[in-house]
Amino acid sequence: SNDYSSRRPLARFEAMTPTLAIDTSTSRTIVGIIDGDNVLFDTFHEGATDHGRAISQLVAQALKVSAPPQQVVVGMGPGPFTGLRVGISFAHTFGLARNIPVIGVCSLDAIDINQSEYTVAIDARRKEIYWARYKDGVRIEGPAVSKPVEVEGFIIDQYPDMKKLVALSHLQNVTEPMYLRRPDAVPTAERA
Amino acid sequence: MQPIVLGIETSCDETAIGIVRGRTLLANVIASSVDEHARFGGVVPEIASRAHLEAMLPSIERALKDSKIALADIDAVAVTAGPGLIGALLVGVASASGLAQGLGRPLYGVNHLAAHVSVDYLTHDRPTDPTIALLVSGGHSSLLQVDDITRSITKLGATMDDAAGEAFDKIARILDLGFPGGPAIDREAVHGSASAIDFPRGLTTSN
Ligand SMILES: [Zn+2]
Repeated sequence: SNDYSSRRPLARFEAMTPTLAIDTSTSRTIVGIIDGDNVLFDTFHEGATDHGRAISQLVAQALKVSAPPQQVVVGMGPGPFTGLRVGISFAHTFGLARNIPVIGVCSLDAIDINQSEYTVAIDARRKEIYWARYKDGVRIEGPAVSKPVEVEGFIIDQYPDMKKLVALSHLQNVTEPMYLRRPDAVPTAERA
Repeated sequence: MQPIVLGIETSCDETAIGIVRGRTLLANVIASSVDEHARFGGVVPEIASRAHLEAMLPSIERALKDSKIALADIDAVAVTAGPGLIGALLVGVASASGLAQGLGRPLYGVNHLAAHVSVDYLTHDRPTDPTIALLVSGGHSSLLQVDDITRSITKLGATMDDAAGEAFDKIARILDLGFPGGPAIDREAVHGSASAIDFPRGLTTSN
């Protein structure tokens, strides 16, 4: 079972409208403008502590290339908390300001792997990974956080694809960040 | 017409949204995660950060409702850029940035020590600059020279250990006066005698 995704009627999705896509679940800040099948803008900034600075600059660039976005799709993780929240926070208030819908998607689902069966993982720090397993385009296990030795044959160092992220917004709307860890599990050393 | 500014503050465990027109406060919404930290005996940054994200949209919407201001009427967005808990600050900065960019309005990052001092500008006429400001709050005690509240503030000094606010809270705890300590001690002090105890004065011989 999957607590995070919920089905959403397709009718709510307006085809061929520019969509602002944002993901900050990895070391990258990724921003795209997707219109139907067209990728109008797709770029990223590499830097695990740069999300806060990068997001506004990349979105400013993105807004120059298309008509105003009609919705926002944002990766809800799992991913390192501090960076993850930058993308979600930005998406929420941008959507509020423009009065346009904000749809959340599982970031791991948006990693595009051209295989019928695979497991993807991203770094969860503290010697663990966030991972999920897929078969025929459907998530069959996860997302979960585990030690790498506990997960079989995973693909790592891949990043969410903005076109796939937007495509997934037809099928799910994740409303809560996928933290997967309790907040008080953060050791004292990681505190700011 | 004076500018309408929406401010966002998330430096510690309170998500605060303020709306001002010029120096008139139109809304002041505070969502606190203080109860969630209690069992840890202090603010847990990750709990605070999660609570900020959860409280952000409802707090902004509440502030707009309280002030009867439409988002489109906001002229600028201001946000606490520091000092504070990094993860908590980032939720505020990213939220403010999304709001400003969504509205096409300027964003101002504010050092929240200056914001503490400028609260006085809401209730009193602008003091004659330069002014010496004594900033005493739960988290800091500093003496500031304010040449211009928006442009030039120089730190003249600060306490070496606890902020005065923390000292008030600790004393109030010892005397069983409750929390927060400042107002409680203030109330009791009215009936006190200034010469009852000969308090030592710190650092009078040092330069
Ligand atoms: Zn303060």
